Amino acid sequence: MSLLLGAFIIGLILALVALGVFISFRIYHFPDMTAEGSITLGAAVAAALLVTGHSPLYATLAAAVAGAVAGLITGVLHTRFKINALLSGIIVMTALYSVNLHVMGKSNVPLMNVTTFADQAAKLAAHFGTEKVLLFGREAAVRDLTLLGLSLGLVVLVGVLLYAFFRTHLGLAMRATGDNDQMVRALGSSDGVLLTGGLALSNALVAMAGALLAQYQGFADAQMGIGMLVWGLASVIIGEALVGTNRFGYLLAGAVFGSVLFRLLVAVALRWGLDPNDLKLITAVFVFGALVLPGTFAKLRRRISAPVSGDSRA
Amino acid sequence: MLELNGIRKTFHAGTANEVRSLQGVNLNIEPGSFVVVIGTNGSGKSTLLNAVAGTFLVDEGSIKIGGEDVTQWAEHRRAQHIGRVFQNPFSGTAPTLSVAENLALASRRGQARGLGFALAGSHRADMVAAILGLGMGLETRLDNAIGSLSGGQRQALTLLMATWLKPKLLLLDEHTAALDPRSADQVVRITDRIIARDSLTAMMVTHSMQQAVTYGDRLVMMHRGQIIHDVSGAEKRRLRVEDLMARFEEVRRADLLDTSAADLLRARYV
Repeated sequence: MSLLLGAFIIGLILALVALGVFISFRIYHFPDMTAEGSITLGAAVAAALLVTGHSPLYATLAAAVAGAVAGLITGVLHTRFKINALLSGIIVMTALYSVNLHVMGKSNVPLMNVTTFADQAAKLAAHFGTEKVLLFGREAAVRDLTLLGLSLGLVVLVGVLLYAFFRTHLGLAMRATGDNDQMVRALGSSDGVLLTGGLALSNALVAMAGALLAQYQGFADAQMGIGMLVWGLASVIIGEALVGTNRFGYLLAGAVFGSVLFRLLVAVALRWGLDPNDLKLITAVFVFGALVLPGTFAKLRRRISAPVSGDSRA
Repeated sequence: MLELNGIRKTFHAGTANEVRSLQGVNLNIEPGSFVVVIGTNGSGKSTLLNAVAGTFLVDEGSIKIGGEDVTQWAEHRRAQHIGRVFQNPFSGTAPTLSVAENLALASRRGQARGLGFALAGSHRADMVAAILGLGMGLETRLDNAIGSLSGGQRQALTLLMATWLKPKLLLLDEHTAALDPRSADQVVRITDRIIARDSLTAMMVTHSMQQAVTYGDRLVMMHRGQIIHDVSGAEKRRLRVEDLMARFEEVRRADLLDTSAADLLRARYV
């Protein structure tokens, strides 16, 4: 049960990554590699602040701000200096690797002896007076359930705020920028500024996920960002398949569902004996399949339904 | 309303692909005037519109809109004065956003876009009224993604968006060229109606000689990056398609006698 709850909690925390990737990839069609660096940046900033005695809330918010700055730099590299989208992200991601090491002071910072949001959840859970409850006939730790509730509340809050934001005049202009930048300029807004702002928002979410993940795991590590972009993309793709519509609110919710479902699948696969070293390979293959298979199936269907006119070479 | 003084633009200057698109264009458009721009392919008519819109900055000359010098302004900044409709029906609208959302974007052209909800209630009645005016039956599709509409419908909506806030200048860049004849006719009629209703100042580039003689109160013909004919008033009203064809023929003959072509002809035939 605790394994399952853990998968749920990590799935919810990483849903913030999925939402960030949804913004960069799906709204702006911008393959933003910065995410790999900014998730670690978030973890590093939060860890550095926590070990110097700052509150988890402050540390998490500061991590989000740091992530926003990283996204801002990528946006400026791309829009001001006309550097290719992919390369802008890679440049910032590479630079962040050193920045993260400086922020942390070493490649791994344990958070065992400091108060994290997970500890605060545990403190809150103590008020319920019991340590275990029965859930679906199995024992579950109240501490884990409280943490799950808090994570869920946070993700729902972020989701609702994003949904509301993308319905404002500013948010709508951001969505239009990914759709048709020429039109946005013709309607008097700078597509460059709107893209940069969107990348800042995206990376703020990703860094926030990094900060929460570090606090949940109990350590921040310089390597923890590797593969996170593809992970987020996998969640977004699963989410799209789940909701099966193009309506914006559903797609946002889908990214969250996708992240949780993906994490659950991974937890089950690991339980069944999947080598953890193969995890990223399998994620990559999965994303490849999800990107390519729909087109292949459509082609096959056309070939089957269309009558083949006499082919002599057969 | 629009003053162009000695506009010059050369693309890929100093390379083998050098194109002198605009070679000293002077044009002064009075407020409320509807100017039709025609010319051969590569004559610089679309380039002229893009120079005014700020797609690129000109090499020489000045551009004033409503007396304000906008020569160095970026494209998005000039948009506060300019409404635009493009040749490609896909260029003017955001396909995944709904009709209402697209109109909401247009309702803030050139203004700060704050954190107010874009589709707040009161706006909707205006949108329905404006869309009813198009007479295309789109009023029931306010919440559909604009990408699901036809080219003609999207072009009509782009027109509505470009003129939602009255622009000082409306730029129409062959906005019916990509449409089927029936939609093209419908869109150009709506264009004329909106321009007349709001007494807009407009420039319309077109390839259709019929449109060129039927619409507008002034006609400008471009050739090799310069304005070679400028007709207005009674003379413009008398203009027929045959007259324009004759002008094009003149240009074509003049071209034949141009230096390099003449050399070639001499070598072959004389």
